[in-house]
Amino acid sequence: MELFDNIAFGFSVALTPTTLLYCFIGVTFGTFIGVLPGIGPLATIGLLLPITFHLSPIEGIVMLAGIYYGALYGGSTTAILLNLPGTAASVVVALDGHPMAKAGRPGPPLVMTTLVSFVAACFAIVIIAAFAPPLARFALRFGSPEYFSLMIMGLLGAAALVHGSLLKGLAMVVLGLLLGMIGLDLTTGIERFTFGSVHLADGLSFVVVIIGLFGLAEVLNNLAMGSARPNVAQRIGWRELIPNREDLKTSVMPTVRGSALGSALGVLPGAGAAIASFAAYAVEKRVSKHPERFGKGAMEGVTAPEAANNAAAQCSFIPTLSIGIPGDAVMALMLGAMMIHGLVPGPGIIENHPDFFWGLVASFWIGNLLLLILNLPLVGIWVRMLRTPYHLLYPTILTFIAIGVYSLHRSTFDVLLVTGLGVAGYLFIRLRAEAAPLLLGLVLGPLLEQNLRRSMLLSRGDPMIFVERPISLAFLLLGALIILVVATPAIKGWWADRFGRAARVGGPTSGPG
Amino acid sequence: MRLSRLASGLAAVAVAGALGIGSANADYPTQSITLVVPFGAGGTNDIIGRILAEPLGERLGQSIVIDNRPGAGGRVGTLHASQQAPDGYTLTMSSSGTNAIGKLVHPDIDYEPLEDFTYIGLIAETPYVLAVRDDSEFESLDQLIETAEERPGELNFGTAGVGSATHLAAELFLDLAEVDMVHIPYDGSGPASAALLGGEVDFIFSSFPGVISHVQSGEARLLGVGTLERVPQVPDVPTMDEQGLEGYEATLWISIAGPAGIPDEIVEKLYAEITDIVENDEDTRNRFVENGAAPLTSERPEDVIDLVQQTMDRWGPIVERTVD
Repeated sequence: MELFDNIAFGFSVALTPTTLLYCFIGVTFGTFIGVLPGIGPLATIGLLLPITFHLSPIEGIVMLAGIYYGALYGGSTTAILLNLPGTAASVVVALDGHPMAKAGRPGPPLVMTTLVSFVAACFAIVIIAAFAPPLARFALRFGSPEYFSLMIMGLLGAAALVHGSLLKGLAMVVLGLLLGMIGLDLTTGIERFTFGSVHLADGLSFVVVIIGLFGLAEVLNNLAMGSARPNVAQRIGWRELIPNREDLKTSVMPTVRGSALGSALGVLPGAGAAIASFAAYAVEKRVSKHPERFGKGAMEGVTAPEAANNAAAQCSFIPTLSIGIPGDAVMALMLGAMMIHGLVPGPGIIENHPDFFWGLVASFWIGNLLLLILNLPLVGIWVRMLRTPYHLLYPTILTFIAIGVYSLHRSTFDVLLVTGLGVAGYLFIRLRAEAAPLLLGLVLGPLLEQNLRRSMLLSRGDPMIFVERPISLAFLLLGALIILVVATPAIKGWWADRFGRAARVGGPTSGPG
Repeated sequence: MRLSRLASGLAAVAVAGALGIGSANADYPTQSITLVVPFGAGGTNDIIGRILAEPLGERLGQSIVIDNRPGAGGRVGTLHASQQAPDGYTLTMSSSGTNAIGKLVHPDIDYEPLEDFTYIGLIAETPYVLAVRDDSEFESLDQLIETAEERPGELNFGTAGVGSATHLAAELFLDLAEVDMVHIPYDGSGPASAALLGGEVDFIFSSFPGVISHVQSGEARLLGVGTLERVPQVPDVPTMDEQGLEGYEATLWISIAGPAGIPDEIVEKLYAEITDIVENDEDTRNRFVENGAAPLTSERPEDVIDLVQQTMDRWGPIVERTVD
């Protein structure tokens, strides 16, 4: 009952005209920022932070939060249409979303991702409202060994991202791990693979890698294909714009699974949200009865990661608000913004500033609703945009990529980097090597290494620490299970090949037939 | 006829130009000034810079634009600032981290703290502190040191990473207290604080603003601060120096600087305004304190260069010993 009171109270705070206005500004900005490559929520929030000094705390934070989760709505748009993920989190959506667009059905994935994001947000908001403090405290029990085991499990799940040759996929994961080593190593203070360049001291910028390997490579590939490029420009009637019954039916369970997974991972500071969409994709492929559809346009491969994404984004507020630990750079900015307004995040925030906390939670729901209303009609516009002749479209894309990447750090180095990565990405496409596993390796590598070395320091070199701690042990066992599940069909097949034939023929074979 | 017109025209332009050059300095500033913050928005340096920029912009009659250029622990933005024109229209937040310790830990960075900058004036200082969880067994620094002596190599402490200022502050502590504890490096002060609250380490060294919210909410306690004087926000916490670690000083000082070669008149003007604001503007001073920093000024612009040298001298030996 108290929960309802609190939520009602929150709505009374969030529905004031000014707060509503800033929420709307935030989500609108966020959507368009999400669509543009390169410039993302981090840079935008940084730019708009000073404006919030002159606003009341709730207005300011509501606007910034709107930018954050609004960007996810926009990010999946370009991921689906152009294979150019607008935000890091939208990469996985492109895996199945873009093939659908190329096959002449751009509308359904766009509509479904919007709907699914809203549903996931509702789910996450309930979680936040009911369980924020205990969840935050649980998240604190995740230490270095637990994170390590979680990352291991994530890496093993990478096998699910691979559609073609498993060997090539694994090679790409390893390449990603290696690329993740570039930069300052925090356990020794040594710069690795930076060749003295201060621009590489922080490692390869994740956003730049995505734009290069996915977006730019796709442009290059399309240009190279020339007239062989599949034509999306036919008349797209109303029917093709909206999802059909089949789409909706197949999306129910993935949305539920994705939301649950995203919420769980989003609560973990640092690691969680980054792998939420990858994990959701892997789970869907694992439980699907027809996993071979993935990579060619399976709706579950679009809806589950999108749900996980949005749920994780909302839930990453939990550690920030409840214990004052930011989960990533954007949350750190939010934390700073709150501190400037005199709001001290921590266990006391719900008691000391109930209007702020509940108002913010209510604004999440309002913001997501606004995004739903805003984005659905836009689908038609985005799809029309796709019909632009490619010789007009691709220079625009290139311009946006260049500007977007430059705007990240005001550095021409990044533009050179994205160009190099684009060429590399094109080579990967020609070699039929997939970029998604590389990305996973790039994300997980540094986290894996840091947590491994910290765990070893804590245990003074004893590897049993991963097994002695229950949560960590659980993840490792799950990982072993994944290997088993993946390997079973292969082992069965090998077994049948070797022994099945002999058994059937009834003795050592002697010649064909 | 035409020639004399041309000549008088040229003469007028030349005179105006000469007057212009002379008056550029006297009228400084005639356009908006960029203040480079080599860290992300919302961090300590950024907040302090923004707090100062408001009154400073008003007094100078031009707006001060904050330019966040984060990366490599402040080195990217600092390098960029050192390469701009020394006309007084590009300034930067230079701190002990970027302009002293940064060069020590990463000697191949392309700027020289003592040569490539014009230092204008100090504005603030914040200590590095030792923090424990609220329910920790350690009630005082003495108790911590005693326990460490009884159980060498058993206690764990966290910092923001090898080569970070928090790491160096911790090493200094281990030196002066003559104890042996294991360093667990984290990826910045956020994860280090998380590790502290989660109980993974026994205590952490952190910048004061990094833990201020946890101290205020009661989840963490400070056992000692690294300034030589007690800090106004937590007056009950003794300094390390007071508690027997004589001469312990680990602070983050923040100053305003620009590329080398800014004309003296501009430096004097900026110094005068900045120091006046930091010393006398109650609003600015209060906002500094709220965000965990203490206002601090230098007596002359040149004092900052001395401070840079002192900082490098003090931390040089420790850096050599602990960072490759």
